[in-house]
Amino acid sequence: MATEHRVGGTCITFGDDVNTDVIIPGRYLVSIDPAELAEHAFEPLGPEVQRRLRASSVVVAGRNFGCGSAREQASTCLIGAGITAVVAASFSRVFFRNAINTGLVAVESPEAVTAVQDGGEVWVDYAAGVVEVGDERFRFAPYPEALRTILEAGGLIAYLTEQASKGASSKASSEASSKASSKASSTEETVR
Amino acid sequence: MNLVEKILARAGGRASVEPGDIVVADVDRLIMHDLSGYLTAKVFEDEVKLPIRHPERVVMVFDHHFAPATERQAAVLKSNREWARRHGIHLFDCGSGNIHNVAVRRGLIRPGMIVVGSDSHTPVHGVLGALAVALGNDSHAGTVLPYGKAWFKVPHTVRIELDGVVAPGTSPRDVALWLVGQMGEGSMIYAALEFAGPYVKALPFWDRWLFPLATVDLGAKCGYVEPDEVTEAFAAGLPGAPYDRMERSDGGEAATVRRYDVGGLGPQVACPPTVGNVKPVEAVAGIPVQWAELGGHGGGRLEDIRLAAAVLRDRKVHPDVRFNIVPASREVFAEAERSGLVLPLHEAGATWFPPSTGSNQAANMGAMAAGEAMISTHARNFPGRNGSSEAQMYLASAASVAASAVTGHITDPREITADLDRPGSR
Amino acid sequence: MTKTFAQKALERASGETGLVPGQIVDAYPDLYMSHTASWRCIRTLERMGVDTLYDVDRIAMVMDHISPANSAKTAGDHRLCREFAERMGVSKFYDVNAGIAHVVLMENGHIRPGQLIIGTDSHSTIYGALGAFGTGVGFSEITAAWVTGKLWLRVPESIKIVIEGPLPPGTHPKDIMLRLIGDLTADGATYCSVEFHGSYVESLSVSERMTLCNLAMEMGAKNAFVPPDDVTRRYLADAGVEPDGYEELLPDAGAEYRQVVDLDGRALAPQIAVPHTVDNVVPVDEVAGTRLNQVFIGSCANAKYDDLVIAAEVLAGNKVAPGVRLIVTPASSTVMSKAASDGVLSTLIEAGATITNPGCGACAGNGGAMADGEVTLSTANRNFQGRMGSYQSQIYLSSPATAAASAIRGSITNPQDVLR
Repeated sequence: MATEHRVGGTCITFGDDVNTDVIIPGRYLVSIDPAELAEHAFEPLGPEVQRRLRASSVVVAGRNFGCGSAREQASTCLIGAGITAVVAASFSRVFFRNAINTGLVAVESPEAVTAVQDGGEVWVDYAAGVVEVGDERFRFAPYPEALRTILEAGGLIAYLTEQASKGASSKASSEASSKASSKASSTEETVR
Repeated sequence: MNLVEKILARAGGRASVEPGDIVVADVDRLIMHDLSGYLTAKVFEDEVKLPIRHPERVVMVFDHHFAPATERQAAVLKSNREWARRHGIHLFDCGSGNIHNVAVRRGLIRPGMIVVGSDSHTPVHGVLGALAVALGNDSHAGTVLPYGKAWFKVPHTVRIELDGVVAPGTSPRDVALWLVGQMGEGSMIYAALEFAGPYVKALPFWDRWLFPLATVDLGAKCGYVEPDEVTEAFAAGLPGAPYDRMERSDGGEAATVRRYDVGGLGPQVACPPTVGNVKPVEAVAGIPVQWAELGGHGGGRLEDIRLAAAVLRDRKVHPDVRFNIVPASREVFAEAERSGLVLPLHEAGATWFPPSTGSNQAANMGAMAAGEAMISTHARNFPGRNGSSEAQMYLASAASVAASAVTGHITDPREITADLDRPGSR
Repeated sequence: MTKTFAQKALERASGETGLVPGQIVDAYPDLYMSHTASWRCIRTLERMGVDTLYDVDRIAMVMDHISPANSAKTAGDHRLCREFAERMGVSKFYDVNAGIAHVVLMENGHIRPGQLIIGTDSHSTIYGALGAFGTGVGFSEITAAWVTGKLWLRVPESIKIVIEGPLPPGTHPKDIMLRLIGDLTADGATYCSVEFHGSYVESLSVSERMTLCNLAMEMGAKNAFVPPDDVTRRYLADAGVEPDGYEELLPDAGAEYRQVVDLDGRALAPQIAVPHTVDNVVPVDEVAGTRLNQVFIGSCANAKYDDLVIAAEVLAGNKVAPGVRLIVTPASSTVMSKAASDGVLSTLIEAGATITNPGCGACAGNGGAMADGEVTLSTANRNFQGRMGSYQSQIYLSSPATAAASAIRGSITNPQDVLR
């Protein structure tokens, strides 16, 4: 079952190089609403795949999942469809960033992908760094602290909003907004 | 008989006709655009199921799309292309230009012809001394395509005589807009309008264009300018075989004559929500616009582009305005480029659209958001036509459109420059 | 310790030293580019309830996708961006008709060697053409950078590509990049910084280098890089950038690369990517004769001035084949000006091309949509299923020379056969 760090359930599997135009076609980018986007997720692959997607909790894919555009909706539409985790042999880097930044668990584990049966159960414990496929356990490097904090807040914007309400960043951001010059030297001062 | 009666009598094989007669006549040309053509083709294929009697007389121009934005639009065009090729009709694909300009430029409209089309502005071809009438899609599918014929009720003719010298900076477009305001929308139901008088006769061909164009706004069946040496010279320069004969009135009197004095008339604007809501530009000056467009049936000619270039010489498009320039045809765009007009207008901040109907109905691009306003040379200003139903459209001359693009609000072009009457002549 | 370009660039942007691949740092970009997607950033900012920005001078907005608007909704999105730029004082705001963000920002001197640039567009790798570190991110990250000025970045490993030239007549930077993507595959450079070196690269203009760096994304690259040289400096000077306004960062001799790829372009034949992936690359001759419905010369990959010149040279005195639509979308307003002033535009118009206004055009779905069964040859950088309309349509990718030659013949054609 799902716990604080453990998500999963029935999975749907895809092959290598699934691109962002297949995940969410460009014509639907006028929306940023997860539920609306979910209606068009994987539309190029037909209604049967779409139906199965909505009945699944985990997307499992081969290499280079999410290659193509920087469109963040490629991750949001999966969240809207009820997906809680993506397990892939590898990710395109922009998709990986967008997943973390929108609060979707994205895990690289080529071994787990090989072991998965389409429609079977897959669970991810991202704190322990384990993908569970049936009785098998596959380890992956847990997220660095910085990324895990963002993920657990529900994404980057949620994280920043949370920080702001704690008052933690208000001082830093008001100092910074006092017109930092665009020169690199002053950037370094701002950093520390 | 007057021009319309003569054309109908000849086409119907009769010695003479009178207003009210019904004539079944051979149609010389059927013109359709990508939207109306699609509907016509569908009815024709689904219900009529006959060969096209005279495919060489049928023309389709893709002008609402210059590059379709959606798969659905692409499918409509694909279906049109396949239909056109299967039947061997004339096809002008995306980027050729506005339907009426393409038909004229390619030599497909000739004096004395009977021209029908589903675009409501088809009567514009009366400028060449043709009898040009807008019919419905079903008439085209049911009678014109399979039998090459249509029936016409001979209209009564109203002669509109314009006389006087307009104020400097005032163009024929202003006069045509003003005339619709004066006569009233729908005031000429079923009539044939003859545009005449010293003002009209002194105009070059492409300026005369604007009067038969207004026919539909007045509710008339058709409109024309009696062919003369201007018509003859223009027609002689068109591609294709020389026309066989040029019909002229043989003294037949119009049932009614209306005379208008255009002396001292200044620039006019047709305001939302209808084409008949015409006011002098001063009455609406200062209203902010976010869009300006030279294009559509009432603009995008080389003359309009020259005017815009004159207004924008040493000036820039206002940063809050998108100023679209839509050449009426590929030929106009090529001429504009050869004449060195493309670069200065581009650098002044204008956006060049491909030859088409431009943002008309926002079929391809150029949609407005709620609360935005456009001033244009288009033929229609009904709410919701270009995007949001909360957006406003003002219709004006090329000079007023260009002047407003400079200031960001509706502007009397005479306030911007005095160089409006013979642009490009220096 | 010797360092790659990526290590040096991220040290500069993070203020940290001794960075090694795999490390995650907080970096402060010099510029945050957002295109038409800016409206999403603005809406997100509103949701956060924040109105203090880190440094508004680092924000660049360019209305390049869906430009002009094609619906009341997108027109409203554009207006939101305009009003935001006005209210917040975003001076690097470029409206409809300015062109494609990447090209516009480089032409206007906003991109400099050594800088870190993030953009809401995966092809932000293109900034490497000026020796900058450019990388694509989602709109949430741009919004976050507006507020905090920073983002997390993983220090990438680097791949060194060494290309020797010159290329045979009729072949161009696009051909060499397609070959490279075909060889290394779509994820061959995932997470990596790709550095371009070698005699061929040195011989290229900045515009041609843009094609290399732009397409590096299609191998999964995080960023791309061409070492700045005199060509770079001249381009920057023309763009109004003072020589003391930037710091060139060069990889150290002996820096560590995950992989070094040597490519000899001297015998290269024109290449083409066939549907539906960019790494599905074959020589043009293998698919020559494939019937086309549409040819698109546009996008940040290949619609710069020199690309239009290449197309015009092939098209001059020829006509587009009946039944084929040729759409040409200049990459920027500057490109349009140049083409309109020296006859290139005339040549394209006379050949039968439909010229649309500067911007992303058909590449971003504003025009050029296809119906079922149609085929487009495009000079853009993606041929994914359904990217240009129907899921049952096909996209091939090539150089502008191949595109122009194919437009004349109506089917895929090796430009060497036309130029001969």
